[in-house]
Amino acid sequence: MAMGFGKYIAYRTVNAVIILFLAVLLMSALFTKLATIQYTAQVDSDVQMWVQGYFKAHHRAPTQEQILNYKAQLMHKYGLDKSYWGRTWMYTVDTFIFRWGNSIEPVFGTHNVVKQIEGALARTILLFTTAQVIIILIGLALGVKSAQIPGSLLDRTISILAMLTTSLPMWWLGMLMILLFVVYLGWLPITLYSQVAVSGWVNILKKMSLPVLTIVTVSFGGWSWIIRNIMIGTMQEDFIMVARAKGVPERKVIYGHALKAAAPPIVTMIIFAMLGSMSGAIITEIVFNWPGMGRLYWEALQLNAVRTMMALNYMFAFLFVFSMVLADILYGYLDPRVRVGAAARA
Amino acid sequence: MRWVDFKDSVKRFWSEYKHQVSGMVGLALLIILFVLALAAPVLTSPNIPKEWQTGQAWITNPKNAPPSWENYFSSVKKAPQKVFKLGDMQVKHQINGSQNVYTLTFSYDMRYNVPPKNIVITGIASNASTPKDNPKVSIMVQRPKEKGVKYENILLLQDSPFPNGGAIQLGYTPQVKSLLFYWLYENGVFHLLMPLQPQLPLSIRLLQLNQQLQMNNTLYSYFQSADPMRILFGQITDSKGHLLPLREIVYNTTGLMGNYKFTLLIRSPKDVKVNLDNIEVTMVGRTFGSLGTDQYGRPISIGLLWGIRIAIAIGLSVAISTVLIGVLYGVTSAYVGGWVDELLQRFNEFMMTLPVLPMLILLSLYFGGKISLTQLVGILVLFGWMGTAKVARSMALQIKEQTYIEAARALGAGTGRIVFKHIVPQLLPYAFANIALSVPGAILSEAGLSFLGLTNPNMISWGRMLNDAQMNGATINGYWWQVIPPGLAIATVGLIFVLIGVSLDTVLNPRLKRA
Repeated sequence: MAMGFGKYIAYRTVNAVIILFLAVLLMSALFTKLATIQYTAQVDSDVQMWVQGYFKAHHRAPTQEQILNYKAQLMHKYGLDKSYWGRTWMYTVDTFIFRWGNSIEPVFGTHNVVKQIEGALARTILLFTTAQVIIILIGLALGVKSAQIPGSLLDRTISILAMLTTSLPMWWLGMLMILLFVVYLGWLPITLYSQVAVSGWVNILKKMSLPVLTIVTVSFGGWSWIIRNIMIGTMQEDFIMVARAKGVPERKVIYGHALKAAAPPIVTMIIFAMLGSMSGAIITEIVFNWPGMGRLYWEALQLNAVRTMMALNYMFAFLFVFSMVLADILYGYLDPRVRVGAAARA
Repeated sequence: MRWVDFKDSVKRFWSEYKHQVSGMVGLALLIILFVLALAAPVLTSPNIPKEWQTGQAWITNPKNAPPSWENYFSSVKKAPQKVFKLGDMQVKHQINGSQNVYTLTFSYDMRYNVPPKNIVITGIASNASTPKDNPKVSIMVQRPKEKGVKYENILLLQDSPFPNGGAIQLGYTPQVKSLLFYWLYENGVFHLLMPLQPQLPLSIRLLQLNQQLQMNNTLYSYFQSADPMRILFGQITDSKGHLLPLREIVYNTTGLMGNYKFTLLIRSPKDVKVNLDNIEVTMVGRTFGSLGTDQYGRPISIGLLWGIRIAIAIGLSVAISTVLIGVLYGVTSAYVGGWVDELLQRFNEFMMTLPVLPMLILLSLYFGGKISLTQLVGILVLFGWMGTAKVARSMALQIKEQTYIEAARALGAGTGRIVFKHIVPQLLPYAFANIALSVPGAILSEAGLSFLGLTNPNMISWGRMLNDAQMNGATINGYWWQVIPPGLAIATVGLIFVLIGVSLDTVLNPRLKRA
C-alpha cells in the first residue's frame, strides 16, 4: 500500500493532467457549439453581403455555383467544413499542447493568441499580483498581531471588517472609487479609466492606483481574519505552552514556534492566491478598463474569438491545477505528518 | 428523531442563539427584508414587474434625476417631482353652445431656483370616434406678481388635440415656446422690425412672430436654445423692475418664486364624453423622490425594493440546493468509499478546475444570453456545490469510524439508512451555518452576471440596475444615486446572512469541522 512521497506526487500530477485534459475537452465542446451557431449566422450574412456587392459591381446576380463556391470558402475560413466532433477534438488538442494559433478576429490588436495572452498576463500580474502581495503582507501582519490578544479592539475590528467585505462586490467598490476619486475629488483624470490605453510608466502607475486600492480593501480583512484563526488554533497547542513555560520570549514563541507550525496552511493559501491572481477578474477589469486576462476573455467573447477563449480558459484551469499540485508538494515538505500520511493513504 | 426531541433541541438552540447579538441583529434585519419583499406590490404597484421594461409607466418621470433631498445640501434648490390629480384641482363643467367645456384650475407653489424640467399632461380619456372630435386642451398661467411686468397672464397652449392614451409635454411643444416668446414680446423684452398688429388673429400674429424670429440670427439662436420652463418660471425683470435683456432671460434665469395659477380648458363636442378621472398634470422634477431615477426615468427606490425578491430568491435557493447536494455528495463519497469515492473525488476536482465566472458566462450565452431566473439558479448550483462536498466528506469520514455506526451496521442497517439516519443529521448544524454563509456568494454571482448583461432584463435585480448604471456611464457622469444604492443593497443582504451564519456556526458548535 505504502508508496514514497515522490510516487504520491507523481500520482497526483498524472491525475491533475488527466483532469486538466478532460476540462479542456468539455470547454472545447461547449465553445465549438457556441461558435457553430455564431459562425453559421456570420457566414449567412457574409454571403448576402457578397451577393449584394457582386450585383452592384457586375449589374447581374452571381450564379448559384458562384454563391456556393463563396460560401464553401467562408465555411473553410471559419472551420465549419469539418464535423462538430472533429473541430472539438482539434481545439482540444491544439489548446492542450499550447498550439494556440491565430484567432479569426484580432483581439487586443493582434491575431496571435500567444501574444494576446502574453500581453494580458503581464498586465494582470502587474495589477492583481501586486495587489495580492500587498494583501498577503497586510494580512500576515494584522492576522498575527490580532491572534496575540484575541478579543482586543484590533481583533474585533478585523472580524467585523472581514464580515463586511465578504459580501462586497469588488467591481462595485471599483465604481465607487472612480466616482469618489475621479469624478468628485478630481485627483485623477477621467481619461485614465474611460479608455483602455495609457502611455508612460507614471500614467500606468496612476491607473493602477485605484484598482489596487479596491482589491486590497476588499480582501485584506478576510485574509487577516483567516490568518488570525490559523494562528489562534496553533497558539492553543501544547508545544506553545511548553515553549512559554520554558521562558522563551513571546516574540520568539510567535514568530519562531507558532508561525512556523502554522506555515503549511498559510503557504497553501498564498500559492492559491498568487496563482489565482494571474487569472485577473473579468468585471473589475471591465470597470477599470484594464486590459488584462479578464477583459481579454470578455472581448474575445464579443468577437467570437474561439481560440483566444479556449486558451484563456485553459490558462485559468491550468493555474488552478498547477496550484493544487504545488500545494500538495509544498505541504509535504513543510509538514512531515502529511508527507507520511499521504504516502500511507495513497 | 422523535418530535419531542426535535422540539427540545430547537428550544435549546434558540435559548443559545438569543444571546448572539450579531445573530439577532441579522435575524431582525432578515425579517424586515422579508416583510419588504412581501409588501413590495402593496407599497408600490403590483404591475411593476410588467411595466419595468416597457417604459410607459415612467414617461412622466425625469431621467437621471438626483434624489430630492440633495436640495438640503445645496444652495441651489431644484424642483422635485410634483403631480396634480383631479382631486387637487377645482373643476367646473359648462355647456357652451355645442361644446362641453371643462375648466380645471390649480396653483403650483414654485419655491425653487431651478424650475421643473417639463410639464406633462396625461389621462384625458374620451369616447371620440374621429380625430377631429378629440378633446382640445388650452392652458393659461397666471404668474406671481413681478415688479415691472405688464402682463402676468400667459397663454401657454391653445386648442391642442388630446388623443386617447396620449400625453402633452409642454416643454417639447413648439407652440408653447412660440407663445412664451410672444408673451416676452408683449412685455417688451425684445422688439421686432415689423411690430405685430394686435387686430390680427392670434394664429397670424404667431406666424409673423416665428417668421421674424427666423430672419434675425441673434433672436433665433436665443429662441432655439431657450428652455420654455425656465422662461415660464423665471424672472424677466431685475430687482428694480427693469426688464432684463433676452440673453439674460434665456441663459441666466433665476426662478421667480411664488404661486402659479394654472387653468386648463378642455373642450369637446357635446356628444363626446370626456372622462377626467385619471387626469394628471406632472411638474417633471429636476430631482425625484428619495433615491432619484435612472436613464429611463425609473425610480431607483422601486428597483431597490423589488430587487429584494430576486436577491433572496436566488440567494436562498442556490444556497440550499448547493449545500444539500454538497452534503449528500460528500457523505455518499465518504461512506461508500473505495473506487466510488475515488471517482467522485476526481469528478469534484474536475468541477473545481473549471473556471467559474468564464463558465457561467459561457453557459449564459449558451442559453441565449438572456437567462431566466430558474436557469440562473441551475447554473449557479452546478458550479457551487464542490467546496461543501469536500468538507462534508472529511467530516463524514470521521463520523463513519464512530462505534454507533458500526453498531447500526451490525444490526443490519442499509447504506441509505445509515447515511440519512445517522450521518446526515450529524452534519445538519454545519449545513445550516453553511447555507447562510453561501447566500452572499450566490447573490454576488447573480449581480456579476447581471452586471455583464447576461440575465433577463425583465428581472428587477440589483445587478441589472448596476448594469444599467454602467451602460449609462453613471460613474463617469457622477450619477451616484444609480451606483451606490444597488451595491449597498447587495452588500447589506450579504452581511445579514454572514451575521446569521457566523452566529449559527458559533451556537451549533461544529466540533467536527476540519478533518
